[in-house]
Amino acid sequence: MDLNIKRKSTKTAVTGSLVETYPHDLQMYKIPPTENLSLKEFETLALERVVLLRSLATATTLKGLRLNSEEWTDYILGDLRTQGLKYYVKLCEKSACGTTDADLQARRKDHIAHFILRLAYCRTEELRRWFIARELELFKMRFATMRGDAIDTFFRLNNLCYTDITDEERNEIMHQLRECTSYANAENTKFYKVKFYEVLDLVKARKVFLKGGYAYIPHKDFISVLSAQYRTHLKQSLAKACHHLGEVEQDERLVALLKGLHQSYSGNDYSSVKAVIPIETLDTLSVKSYPLCMRQLHEHLRTAHHMKHGGRLQYGLFLKGIGVTLEDSLRFWREEFTKIMDLDKFEKQYAYNVRYNYGKEGSKRNYTPFSCLKIINNTVGPGDCHGCPFRHCEPNNLKNRLIGYGFDHQAVHDIIDITKKGHYQIACSKYFDASHNVDLGLGINHPNQYFEESQKLIKGDIKMDQKKEKVVIKKEINDLDGIDFDEPLD
Amino acid sequence: MVGENNYNLLPDMLPIYYTRLFPQNILCRWLTCGSAPQPLSNRELSFTLADDIYLRYLTINNQKELQTLLQKKCPHKLDIGGVYNTKPSIGRHDAVVLSRELVFDIDLTDYDEIRTCCQEAKVCEKCWKFMVIACEIIDKALKEDFGFQNILWVFSGRRGIHCWVSDYDARTLDSPGRGAIADYLCLILGGEGQNKKVYLGSDNLHSSVRRSLNIIDKYFEELLQDQEFFSTADGLKKLLKIIPDEGLRSQVEKVLDKMNESSVQRWMSFINIYESYCRENTNAVRKIRYLIEEIKIQYCYPRLDVNVTKGFNHLLKSPFSIHPKTGKVSIVFKPKNAKSMKLDEIPTLYSLLDDSSPDNALHQTNMRTAVKNFQEVVFSLEKAEAMRRRNDPNMSVEF
Ligand code: SF4
Ligand SMILES: [Zn+2]
Repeated sequence: MDLNIKRKSTKTAVTGSLVETYPHDLQMYKIPPTENLSLKEFETLALERVVLLRSLATATTLKGLRLNSEEWTDYILGDLRTQGLKYYVKLCEKSACGTTDADLQARRKDHIAHFILRLAYCRTEELRRWFIARELELFKMRFATMRGDAIDTFFRLNNLCYTDITDEERNEIMHQLRECTSYANAENTKFYKVKFYEVLDLVKARKVFLKGGYAYIPHKDFISVLSAQYRTHLKQSLAKACHHLGEVEQDERLVALLKGLHQSYSGNDYSSVKAVIPIETLDTLSVKSYPLCMRQLHEHLRTAHHMKHGGRLQYGLFLKGIGVTLEDSLRFWREEFTKIMDLDKFEKQYAYNVRYNYGKEGSKRNYTPFSCLKIINNTVGPGDCHGCPFRHCEPNNLKNRLIGYGFDHQAVHDIIDITKKGHYQIACSKYFDASHNVDLGLGINHPNQYFEESQKLIKGDIKMDQKKEKVVIKKEINDLDGIDFDEPLD
Repeated sequence: MVGENNYNLLPDMLPIYYTRLFPQNILCRWLTCGSAPQPLSNRELSFTLADDIYLRYLTINNQKELQTLLQKKCPHKLDIGGVYNTKPSIGRHDAVVLSRELVFDIDLTDYDEIRTCCQEAKVCEKCWKFMVIACEIIDKALKEDFGFQNILWVFSGRRGIHCWVSDYDARTLDSPGRGAIADYLCLILGGEGQNKKVYLGSDNLHSSVRRSLNIIDKYFEELLQDQEFFSTADGLKKLLKIIPDEGLRSQVEKVLDKMNESSVQRWMSFINIYESYCRENTNAVRKIRYLIEEIKIQYCYPRLDVNVTKGFNHLLKSPFSIHPKTGKVSIVFKPKNAKSMKLDEIPTLYSLLDDSSPDNALHQTNMRTAVKNFQEVVFSLEKAEAMRRRNDPNMSVEF
């Protein structure tokens, strides 16, 4: 991208050319903008888009609204309106091909802002993931609100020519098509045939009929194909952008701005540790300051003296994150495992793993502890005990466990209630409140954050005796900067 | 059976096995073909030596080098890894995995919560049937749904089976792609804390699920008899916990508790109660529309180790490697013959090399069959690979 920053904005584009450049509300951002831009506008556009993406993040991961559901869209549009981002409302509410000046200006801003954020978000794997996840949500929302003729134009403009299957082929597999797609009238729907790896999300959810390596997708599900393409495109572009950062960053003002954008929005990934926690305290801590997922793992380890790989990874990294040293960690696992196996076996089969978590083996990466989203979206198989209990345990078992821990019935009831609604992290926050006897309503997005909040509270960093403070804290938490960087995208 | 404890004979017998019986040639051809367009030398092999010494990033250029390597190191176990962009080695951090067969690992230990005949490392003819079902279901899905053709099924050496898909599209699939296939095939979800592990919703059943159920139905009664899932108080309790509808659950509990212990009979009356309950409680039906199917799946459907499939460079035991504990050969079998496979007829290192062993003749024959099975898969893979090359230059799908 070729951005020349000037002190003062210069009106470059004539409306005529804007019509050519921006014929449609929805773009796939294939060509970078080339116009000159004032630093001020650069900054404004960047920040406004961050607000937009944040709003998507809140709707999806914090409010737990279903993607593209009515509530989800309403929440986002409402939020954009409150934030005064009318042009984004315009683009998101109903994608079309209007040619008014407002239309064109909105598209221009959208275009430029997207490219600026690429520069800000290409820096780390985490940032990239977050950015791609949000941009994809945005894309899907805008595609979903598009009208029929605008869709056709969109296809044409982007050279997307897919042909639908012949009637003959369709009749042959009509029965299966009806079975595998959730649309009542498969008879009257156009079906397209694409390679199965172009619609992984439909495959994953078993929402499409597969035959011989091809997926038969109804017109309506076409968005999956597009978003898969769009995702690949974004991934590559971010990699490229990262490569060219050096050139862009010759302007110091830009560097500060882009980095600032990132910092104003980067969550803690708990990969560096401040305090050292001795393992002798873990039993106490597991009761006082562990989130339930970790407490469950800890207790499992203490009773079974063994743990499957997924659990070792989740718990091991958590321990690293709260400040257990590698040596202590080795000792801790060794002491438990050697209760059921000899030392030799442990050293050969498991010690590697522990060192691996600390970046001392394998690819030597400094692995970061898992965030809630990662844990919640993890696959938990039979016999595993990792994962997020609010997500992976049956409410009844969860209930019994909580009662067993001595929580009062009202609290247990509340927690279970929220769990059943699918708000796992909110349930976790209620669990926090119940175990600390407070009413904070924290937003929990990371087990290590849970731990730190708890420690703060216990050590008296947050004073709880005044109602006023509660409000302050709540507000802070609602702001939730970068709450979900680790969202596993694929 | 001979041999379970002949562990210390391994160092003497393995060299002979590797020279005389191990199908080096076919294995190399399989690996070469499965590494294309990268050269064979970019493929990672790994050996486990005596005392669990683990050697990673071994590479070979041709069969001769494999032979030398096997003779020199005499591995107790042989694993196969991914294909890298360059010759991989320990110090090389710039080596990245480019491709890798799509693999599946199904192990009976994951069935411990349902099988009643054995636990953990044990396995018998009864629980082997779970593997038979798993093999049939996965094989069908890979072929019919995903269009894969070059599929190799291997006995894992003790209590499970491995599947290797070598089609070009499968080998070059990225990890999200592998993940999606794994999730598509995975119907049983949830760990120890979850009683009901299968949810089919209340809409139409997906055709692949229906096909799997048809396969399960062929074996279900036999399994009920073998495993007696519901005859003990414990087994019954497990069944009851899966029933989400309280009304139905208490009805079932009342009747089944008192009746004959046979699981087949208990299952029949469960179905009867279920059906009449659905007739009477039409508004409860939605939630339990596929309860029968869900239970069958929970008790019979393959339990995949999805992490093996999702991971792109997971090492997996090579065909014809020896299981160091059982001495059994990881033979290649045809999915349609899985049913007739007998565990004690699987050749072991000891019976193969000891011609005074009573099993010797039979095991020799079975070993030859296994090699032939391997050959067949490799031949057809070579053909497919040649075809692909011919059409290659512009194979890319057009948008
Ligand atoms: S919400 Fe997060 S911290 Fe809480 S139990 Fe689940 S994974 Fe752990
Ligand atoms: Zn058994």
